[in-house]
Amino acid sequence: MIRRKLSLAAAVVTATALSLTACSGGDTPAADLTSVSIMAPFLEAQPPAADGAVQKKLEELTGKQVKINWAPNASYEDKTNITLAGSDLPQVMVIQGKTPGFVKNAQAGAFWDLTDKLDKYPNLKTTFPDIQKNASVNGKVYGVFRGRAPMRAAVMFRQDWLDKLGLQPPKTTEDLYKVAKAFTEQDPDGNGQNDTWGITIPKWGALGTNSPYDLIEEWYGAGNRWTERDGKLVPSFETDEFLEADRFIKKMVDEKLINPDFATFDSTKWNEPFFNGKGGIIVDVDSRVSVLINLFKQADPNNFQNKVGFVGNLEGPDGKLHAHPTDGYSGFLAVPKGSVKTEAELDKVLAFLNSMNGKDVAILLNNGIEGVNFKVEDGKAATIKPETPEGKAVTTDIKSYAQLGMNVAGNEFYPVKQPSDYEQQVFDKRTEVMAEDLKSAVYNPAAPYVSATYVAKGAQLDNIVADARIKYLAGQIDEQGLKDAIKLWDTSGGNKVKEEINKLWQDNK
Amino acid sequence: MATPVIDTLTGERAGKAAPAPRNGGRFSVHFAHYKWLYLLLLPGVVYFAVFRYAPMYGVSIAFKDYVPFLGVNGSPWVGFRNFEDFFANPDFPRLLGNTLILAFLNLGVAFPLTIILALLLNEVRLSILKRTVQTLVYIPHFLSWTIVASLSFLLFALDIGPLFQFLNNVMGTHIDFLSDPAWFRPLIVLQEIWKNTGWGTIIFLAALSTVDQDQYEAAIIDGAGRFRRVWHITLPAIRSTIIVMLILAIGQMLNTGFEQIYLMTNALNREVADVFDTYVYFVGITQGAYSYSTAVGLFKSLVGIVLIFGTNWLAKRFNQSGLF
Repeated sequence: MIRRKLSLAAAVVTATALSLTACSGGDTPAADLTSVSIMAPFLEAQPPAADGAVQKKLEELTGKQVKINWAPNASYEDKTNITLAGSDLPQVMVIQGKTPGFVKNAQAGAFWDLTDKLDKYPNLKTTFPDIQKNASVNGKVYGVFRGRAPMRAAVMFRQDWLDKLGLQPPKTTEDLYKVAKAFTEQDPDGNGQNDTWGITIPKWGALGTNSPYDLIEEWYGAGNRWTERDGKLVPSFETDEFLEADRFIKKMVDEKLINPDFATFDSTKWNEPFFNGKGGIIVDVDSRVSVLINLFKQADPNNFQNKVGFVGNLEGPDGKLHAHPTDGYSGFLAVPKGSVKTEAELDKVLAFLNSMNGKDVAILLNNGIEGVNFKVEDGKAATIKPETPEGKAVTTDIKSYAQLGMNVAGNEFYPVKQPSDYEQQVFDKRTEVMAEDLKSAVYNPAAPYVSATYVAKGAQLDNIVADARIKYLAGQIDEQGLKDAIKLWDTSGGNKVKEEINKLWQDNK
Repeated sequence: MATPVIDTLTGERAGKAAPAPRNGGRFSVHFAHYKWLYLLLLPGVVYFAVFRYAPMYGVSIAFKDYVPFLGVNGSPWVGFRNFEDFFANPDFPRLLGNTLILAFLNLGVAFPLTIILALLLNEVRLSILKRTVQTLVYIPHFLSWTIVASLSFLLFALDIGPLFQFLNNVMGTHIDFLSDPAWFRPLIVLQEIWKNTGWGTIIFLAALSTVDQDQYEAAIIDGAGRFRRVWHITLPAIRSTIIVMLILAIGQMLNTGFEQIYLMTNALNREVADVFDTYVYFVGITQGAYSYSTAVGLFKSLVGIVLIFGTNWLAKRFNQSGLF
């Protein structure tokens, strides 16, 4: 199947290469930019229609004809590579992350280096220079990053179970153990059977993907992917805290406080044990709180309050809070050199992106059109009820258009007004907890750096440790086996990665 | 009428192999004579040239350091470096081993079972029963691997799966089928058998229907039992079909079924589950190492070609008609 895909890609490449030679010189010189083409992913079942209300409003606000080429999220990376090899390039491309493919292309000169350019545009000048640096490739900024809330980690638990057993919400990892143990052994659902467990963890192996394992390791003080020890950067898994944290998780696995099928459990069913009263705790991003509340609300609209409780990051055994932030961005909008040939053209495209980053466009992309699908109530965007067909269409469309939002100076659009007072309270508390945790955030010091060896075989290397971690937790190998796997990471190329990352880190200090 | 056609065709072939000028004239006469036949051939040639051979141009990236922005032509040549990297990689022996073991298990267990099932169906005398059973065993072939994997997860899931509970309660054993590496291969082969054995019987049943019934009557008079009849009449009669199917199966052998294995892999059984196909996906698509994974895929194809030629040669040696 994959080979077929590759050969298809090759065929496309060949075809476009032929058409390139056939019509070279046919490019129209963009004297004045009247239209801008953008390639972006869509996550819904259907891309928005090209003549929708949001599209019209966007063109009105930016004063340009905007042509958006929506590509399905699942195959977006492939599509990016095929587009780059062709001649028909968009002027702006949404790049979803620093994948090896992107880094290779960028280093081969496929995108404009925007490092010294963005600050000239009032709306593109970021108020989060650290995040911009995280999104860079070794300090070189290849795009306007798409800002995302950096603090998202939360522990969610069945509030009704907690109340029934007379427990307090966990504050430390030790509390988490106690609550998980009580949820497992003290029959929190009161059916007289020993049929519940504490924490539900789905099949989720890869390192540094904000998995429950990553979170607990960071809370133990292992750092965020990379951490500074004795003046050098080392991967988190080479710290003692990492082993300690995994010993702690293994203890919970052994005492059956975690679902026994954690290595195979399908992550799309993650909410089910929580909702059905099997497993009472989920460690994940805080937005899952509303998803869980909605599940209970759908089942019983009159009695869904106080089912879901949550706290933010937990204190580690050292009594300190090492909160786990993401890198603060989700890809970036880059400008390919293949379509934007001169600096003068680049300036025009950047001016367009500047207008895309204004408050009015931010509201359009994230909230919709005022008076059509939302109205402003106490500074929040409330859905207009009853929903009109036009309003519904706008609400659906903005789920895709939000992919174009950059928000490099924070979110300037309205927060969404929650449908009920209880949900509003929960939402406000989430905002509060995350803001509080952000003060103790431990960032990844190596986030801006891309090592050549890691680009070549990083994912294979990381898999060695990621698989060993799961095997250790499942009892297939012992702690020595885990340590051996970490050594194997070193000798299979990890030492080179460490060297390169440290050099980049030192040079950019 | 038929003989001269073949003669001229062979003459033309020899002319092509050694292009001597004196054959040129003969060819144009030949071509003029058969131009309509060549015209009939044209769509097929164009189809293969455009959709089968032209894309092979992309295989050249196996010998390059392919960067999409630079394109296939612009990317620098690196010779055999991608292959060297692969053979030196500690993953290589494991991948080759896993792929071959799974391939031979599938061939050694699933292939004979198809023949046995076809023989069994052939012995059923009640035609309504035979037809019903046939239809039923064909059905799994039409389910996608995603569904087969989901069914396996439901059946074998830890704690809640009915099979797990049965073994736990009745036999007192506690087996985690889905993540125990020892159970990975049996599960894959079982799935393959369940899904494709019935479908595979179609060709054998067709071959069986051509067996001369008089031979059976003669054998019965000679006092041959059912097994003797199967052994001495049925099996020799479909021997050439079996050989052809075997060669075809061996050609497909290394295509271990990407979807099936990808869906059944997890961190605990990856050691035995990683095969060429899943590795190419993992390295090529998720890591963007297009050149390297193309090299791996190309190597896999080479092994496949060696296997198919080897079997064909063996079949001919044992005095059976081969495939080509």
